[in-house]
Amino acid sequence: MVARTSRLGVELCGILLANPLMPAAGTLSKEVVGDVATAYGAIVAKTVTPEPRAGNPPPRIAEVSSGMINSIGLQNPGIARFLKDLDAFDVGRPMIVSVAADTAEDFALMCRQLSTHSRVAAVELNLSCPNLEHAGATFCTIPGSVGEVVAACRKTLPDKPLLAKLASENAVENALAAERSGADALTLINTIPALSIDAWERKVFVRGGLSGPAIKPIALKVVYDVSRAVNLPVIGCGGVSRGLDVAEFMLAGATAVQIGAASFVREPQRILKEFSSYLTETGLDACELTTTLG
Amino acid sequence: MKLHQVEVLDREKFGNHTLLRYRWAGDTPRPGQFIMVRTTLSASASTLDPFLSRPLFVHDYADGEVSLLFEVRGRGTALLAEESSHVTVSAPLGRGFGLNVDGPVALVSGGVWVSPFKLLSRNLSLLDIPHDLYLEIPASAPEAYAVWISKAYPTATFVRTDEGQEAPHDLLKSMGDLSRYRALYASGTSETLATLREASLDVVPAQLAVRERMACAVGSCYGCAVPVWRSGERTYARACVDGPVFEAEVLAW
Repeated sequence: MVARTSRLGVELCGILLANPLMPAAGTLSKEVVGDVATAYGAIVAKTVTPEPRAGNPPPRIAEVSSGMINSIGLQNPGIARFLKDLDAFDVGRPMIVSVAADTAEDFALMCRQLSTHSRVAAVELNLSCPNLEHAGATFCTIPGSVGEVVAACRKTLPDKPLLAKLASENAVENALAAERSGADALTLINTIPALSIDAWERKVFVRGGLSGPAIKPIALKVVYDVSRAVNLPVIGCGGVSRGLDVAEFMLAGATAVQIGAASFVREPQRILKEFSSYLTETGLDACELTTTLG
Repeated sequence: MKLHQVEVLDREKFGNHTLLRYRWAGDTPRPGQFIMVRTTLSASASTLDPFLSRPLFVHDYADGEVSLLFEVRGRGTALLAEESSHVTVSAPLGRGFGLNVDGPVALVSGGVWVSPFKLLSRNLSLLDIPHDLYLEIPASAPEAYAVWISKAYPTATFVRTDEGQEAPHDLLKSMGDLSRYRALYASGTSETLATLREASLDVVPAQLAVRERMACAVGSCYGCAVPVWRSGERTYARACVDGPVFEAEVLAW
């Protein structure tokens, strides 16, 4: 048992976190990371790819009931530039780097680049991105793909925690494959495939991933199911917008919790404060929640 | 993003537009900056519905009072036009109009999107920069809007248009020779901005205030993409932090 520093502290893959919150990949830029660093136990940078990506043409976002659909297209400067700017994300919190690629080989190459970087605490594999070798299907929907990528990355990232971020589809099956292939933790879930139609213009408005409070019950069930199927720590993600949501995800089995779209409309500091109040009221420590569901 | 609950001083309504004023003691807004605003009820509800705050240009700022001018276009703006005594707002955001110019300058708005110009006009006056205003009044605009805008901008040239593809050109024609201006500031529909951009290139430096849907409004989500030229390559800038005001030659429309 590793000593914790406070009621909020948790341990994830041997990394001590001051609290269980972290931003979901792609929801916190280097420009504002300093403003919210104290709310998070770890920082997750926006997904980076081997080469720069310009991203998708607009429109990229559509509001829906209690949430939004996004289709950003992983706009990022590529890993070489990303590594040059890494200092910007160094705000005194463990830094998790999210990576995506078109092939297992490219995933593994990026992990090799990150494996010796002292500032990188862990790597999160974004496995819900389209796979070019399979006509744009995502790694999570192609049988065997998750295991293949995780196994390749395990070889090139032997000494840092390897996190696999999975979609809601086939979650238990993919979680088991990730575990067998050497993942250290799982992040669940990514946005859910969704569509918005402009009825007046009679055309598709945005086709992308749904996030926000609308998806919380789905994410909660996936976290609950997967954490009972594997022996890996789970990072819950999907519609977390209040302190009670954090508690619910941890009770469902999560060790840590990511905040995504809700950080666009609520301050993460407030969410942490609400979660802290919940712990005070229940007399529980954060790390106890993961094992206390009746 | 830090949000503040502020007291609404009043709402003036004309046609589909609302002018909402609130007390503000935070950072002084600069012309062309915007505010993320939502109803206080939606900010406190567990559903957070409507989910996203709305980006609205600062219409004016004086004596500790901010005003936002918006057209009701959907559920979010409809609620903002109605909800009672408070709204929830961000501090002023984004990169506004550059005022380092020795005049004379032209301000031109297409459609019914005059919103960033009151504060711009006020600040230009403070700097003794002579400026002409050209404001479109489309045929579809409610009469109440036409009456209001005539009073709000008494010195402006009003250009009544039949809308459609010709409207931006009619607006442009009303301005005459653009080369007599040292800068052109524009707000409006994407068609208007594209026409003005084209006409301004190699004639007069133009700054265009774009409107995009936004989610985070602080550069994190990359949702408000605007195509731009950077180092000879076409890429996407973020309207929220790289804009919402862009130099015409940078935009890759």
